[in-house]
Amino acid sequence: MSEIKEILVDENSKLFDKTGMFYKKFPSDFRQIRYFTLLVVQKAPPEIKEINLLEQQISELIKNAIKHGNKNNPNKFVHVWFSFSEEHAHLIIEDEGEGFKRIEEWNEFNRKRLECFQNQNFEEMEKYISFVTEDSDEYDSGNALFAAVEYWNGGVVFNNKRNCVAVLKRFPKKRHGLEIKSA
Amino acid sequence: MEIKIRRSSTIYIIDVSGDMDMYNAYKVKNLVNKMIEKNIQNFIINMEGVNYIDSSGIGALIYVHSELKKRNMKFRIANIRGTVKKVIELTKLMGYFKITDTVENAIKQIKAEL
Repeated sequence: MSEIKEILVDENSKLFDKTGMFYKKFPSDFRQIRYFTLLVVQKAPPEIKEINLLEQQISELIKNAIKHGNKNNPNKFVHVWFSFSEEHAHLIIEDEGEGFKRIEEWNEFNRKRLECFQNQNFEEMEKYISFVTEDSDEYDSGNALFAAVEYWNGGVVFNNKRNCVAVLKRFPKKRHGLEIKSA
Repeated sequence: MEIKIRRSSTIYIIDVSGDMDMYNAYKVKNLVNKMIEKNIQNFIINMEGVNYIDSSGIGALIYVHSELKKRNMKFRIANIRGTVKKVIELTKLMGYFKITDTVENAIKQIKAEL
């Protein structure tokens, strides 16, 4: 049975260390989310495996910040710190909203969802297919964070106010040169 | 994103291409709703031309799956690959969706259920 991953709340997590990271600030313009994402991802080395997937995952975090954090308020901004190498992608994304208050509920929901998946109980899983709140609208799918906790294998951590999320992806190390085995 | 519809006997194949994202995934939901109103019963969404999907695209597929299941209609998703497949895997929806590797196999499976 695979490990059940969770969203953490830990302001002291080392994932919030911004040393050496690039920074960009974006207005809460829903129409430009993918463009903003490209401005960030262009700093990533092209050797990164599945760079389209990295782009998609970053886009989800920026979308959450603009839509759910800042409620598309044009006077509020999203702040993004980022660093990339062939072996990692590290981002901190902060909005100016009230914070994601339902993290514990989300973790419990995801735990039940994963139990259904692990037992291949898709009838029961129907109940846990999307995490929808009173904030959700018909365009919300309520599934972005399920993929996020799986993708960001170095962690998904919120600050105490829960309006800032830090994520880390570790990519497998590439081997260069030939491996010489001794006799 | 571009959507085309074709038909194989009573089965309607929706060919989607381009990016299925937050800006246009709703078009798939709207189209399927209109097709349901026209009493169409059997659906395949062919994802062969989709290179990018986000949570809104996944949400559209969940919506279609759930609406058609409620009505006991037949539905398959065909030809997922690359990043699209990876996002569906990360979201743990392999097995929840009925997925086939080709449109032909989707047609065969639906015909066997009719």
